Amino acid sequence: MIKKMELEYSKNEILIKNKNLSSLDKFAIDFTSILNRYAKYVIVSGYVAILFGRNRTSEDIDIIVEKISFNKFNSFWVESSKHFECINANTVKTAYQEYLSSGVAIRFSKKNSFIPNIEFKFPKVELDSWTLKNRKKVKINNHQLFISPLELQISYKLFLGSEKDIEDARHTYRLFQDKIDIDLLDEFNKKLKTDELFNRYLK
Amino acid sequence: MKMPDIDLKELKKQKEENFRQRLEFIDKYVEWLKKTPNKKWSKQQKELID
Repeated sequence: MIKKMELEYSKNEILIKNKNLSSLDKFAIDFTSILNRYAKYVIVSGYVAILFGRNRTSEDIDIIVEKISFNKFNSFWVESSKHFECINANTVKTAYQEYLSSGVAIRFSKKNSFIPNIEFKFPKVELDSWTLKNRKKVKINNHQLFISPLELQISYKLFLGSEKDIEDARHTYRLFQDKIDIDLLDEFNKKLKTDELFNRYLK
Repeated sequence: MKMPDIDLKELKKQKEENFRQRLEFIDKYVEWLKKTPNKKWSKQQKELID
């Protein structure tokens, strides 16, 4: 029997039922199952559209993580090291001090793999902090993870502006246009100056 | 829901910086590809794409 994706959308969460998980979904779930225990985070960018059925893959998943203390990060590092490794910083101290605290992302992959990987970074601009504060819970099969509010996700993808980004925005908008807060989306489109792109490609 | 302050100049700078970091990562990935047996990297690629 072919399973189909069913979505339940509410103000606080989105439930995806019966999704056949891709290797990228499994990777995201494995990583966030650990991260859930250590820090508040939000998944942003391309994987959000892929999670909801966009028919493409990605070699990375972008995650903004609240700025946590070195000790907490170290605990996360030790725990995650059982299955994952940081592929651009060799030590926990380097990762925290020379990368994350300097605004540079670190990347985690499954041990002995390079792709896919998690791009892990601390918030840099107010929009990053807003996204974290207003993150949305997604329940997928028996797991939960957190994504950017879809209104911002759509508008920000338009702001990024490549063909792939616009297609991601269109996919997310088409899927959720009857559920999302259109006033909020309009506000973001005004602030990010993406109204024209929105009217041209998404409406 | 309170809207965040958005500084477009800052966001554009962040976009460029993120792009620069991604380009650097591609260099790192290519270096890894060059020294990794085809069997190993292509297995990872296959798992991701299939």
